[in-house]
Amino acid sequence: MDSTALLEIEDLEVTVEGRKILNGLRLSVPRGQVHAIMGPNGSGKSTLAHVLAGRPGYEVTGGRVRYAGKDLLSLAPEERARAGLFLGFQYPVEIPGVNNVYLLKAALNAARTAQGQPEVDAFDFLALVREKMRLMRMEDSFLSRGVNEGFSGGEKKRNEILQMLVLEPTLAILDETDSGLDIDALKIVAAGINTLRSPARSTVLVTHYQRLLEHVVPDAVHVLSRGRIVRSGGAELARELERRGYDWVSGEAA
Amino acid sequence: MSALLERIAGEAGAAQQGLPHRDARRRALEALTRQGLPSARDENWRYANLRSLERQRFTPASGMVPASLELPPALPGFTRCVFVDGHFDRARSAAPGPPLAAAALERTLRQGPDERFSLLNAALAAEVARVKVAAGTERVEFLFVASAPAGAGASYPRLEVEVEPGAGLELIERHLSAGSEGGFVTSAVEVHLAAGAHCTHYRVQDLNPRSILFDTLGARLDADAHYRLHALHTGGQAARSTLALTLGGERARVDLAVAALGERSQVQDTYARVEHAARATRTHQLFRGIAAGRSRVAFNGKIVVAHSAADADSQQSLRGLLAGPEAEIDVRPQLEIYTDAVRCSHGASVGKLDEQMLFYLLARGLARESALRLLKWAFLEDVIAGIGQPALRRQLEARLARLLPEAAPEELP
Repeated sequence: MDSTALLEIEDLEVTVEGRKILNGLRLSVPRGQVHAIMGPNGSGKSTLAHVLAGRPGYEVTGGRVRYAGKDLLSLAPEERARAGLFLGFQYPVEIPGVNNVYLLKAALNAARTAQGQPEVDAFDFLALVREKMRLMRMEDSFLSRGVNEGFSGGEKKRNEILQMLVLEPTLAILDETDSGLDIDALKIVAAGINTLRSPARSTVLVTHYQRLLEHVVPDAVHVLSRGRIVRSGGAELARELERRGYDWVSGEAA
Repeated sequence: MSALLERIAGEAGAAQQGLPHRDARRRALEALTRQGLPSARDENWRYANLRSLERQRFTPASGMVPASLELPPALPGFTRCVFVDGHFDRARSAAPGPPLAAAALERTLRQGPDERFSLLNAALAAEVARVKVAAGTERVEFLFVASAPAGAGASYPRLEVEVEPGAGLELIERHLSAGSEGGFVTSAVEVHLAAGAHCTHYRVQDLNPRSILFDTLGARLDADAHYRLHALHTGGQAARSTLALTLGGERARVDLAVAALGERSQVQDTYARVEHAARATRTHQLFRGIAAGRSRVAFNGKIVVAHSAADADSQQSLRGLLAGPEAEIDVRPQLEIYTDAVRCSHGASVGKLDEQMLFYLLARGLARESALRLLKWAFLEDVIAGIGQPALRRQLEARLARLLPEAAPEELP
């Protein structure tokens, strides 16, 4: 095990409604790296993302997760977020009546307060949001709308990345952020993810397809099957998977 | 006659001796004793806290104005009239003279059984707040302050609104308490919109948490009249509001939006009856209620479409949010239709805060308490967003922010 890893998952076992979904999963993500988790439907990819973010309804029956030296599983979801962990939702929730800008500001201030920093100045904040919105090619009208309210699938995903850019998390876990995007939106989202790449940050991309990985080239690719990592490799593993299909690795593991 | 009714008749009969228009008042009291008080077995009264009546004294309060009385800041453009325990407070009112003088008490005699507390009001109201708009659009604010503690007498505020053909009115009606002692308030409001008249009426019920309120509002709309009623019910220990709206002229239209908040052991009960009596009349009804603590919040929305009301159109959206394991919410849409060719739609739901929304906010780092309050706020948004007077909306938002604390008002969206 790499002791300098930002995220260290050991033998994680997770049960959902009595069914074991993760079954001894081991994963180590060093600081500064982008790792992709790939796998067929039902392999446990989204469960992994949700468990890391602390979603209720997932029972951890074994193993442990360390994040930046902390016992991640002992933290409440909001504490994980304030400690710099960001989950990009596969299905971002619509919250009519809660303003987008309000949520962004409340989220940013929650993190800043937790880190002993003063709340963000309202003027600086708007300038920051507008800059990130330009990057994500989002219209100004977005600012006054309800959170994800009436957004198209692509807009919701771009909004997730916008939130990520504003919050600048230490660890971003992006759950199928590429699904439902056309090629232009995919490039915008990929550019957003790439701007956050830095030696201090790590990203876990959970994805079914290889196409996002052409734009965000990962440092490592892991294949998840039946609740555990069955194969790990470099970026070329994703291309090989695309060519040969998941049966290739799943069959090998069986 | 029940012992309670006998006591009411006795106290009211004695008090009437000193009031003008004694005949009309006597007839109102007789009508009330004939009808009797509603009971919890009455379908339309089952959620109201009728037992609170047992503890009340019905003799009208003297209207002693407390020396220090904190009123909400005046709203730009609105003429303010203040009534304390139903008595006009000239010193605190901007209007040149009292827009009052008792009249029209007889009209209450023709009202339906659900409006019977307006009879009690007619029997004992001291002065009548009145606004009559003949032309153009006016803006008036009425503040009804309950000052006397319940043991020292009851408060009977009465408001009569008349908007003549084609004229308009923006009306603010607020009910507040002067102190922290519980008062007993029986209020009555009558609204008449003549042909083509329009009225936006904001009602804010913000009595202190120990007060008891029985409120009745009756409105009649002539052809092409448009009535927008926004009500925010947050105050009182037990509050019952009866709304009886009649769309009497063709194409008359009412937009009714009510928000009610209950906490502790509060009871917030609203019964709204809208009668479509003429062709092509329209109703849009919105209710959002949140019950926390051990409170009970109820909205019973009845739409009656008469035989004469072909092409009527009514929409109801009634939603309740349970914010505590011991709280209770009842939302009930009711339709009674006596003609064909109507469009009536209704949606009613009661639920808890959405777990998915909550997790989304937590995953963005918001504290659990803040996230819960934000979601409650969002739940009320449909009603709040409809308040077209920005200064009033800011005041009410600030008030709500205090009731749903944690987030300071300026932080809220």
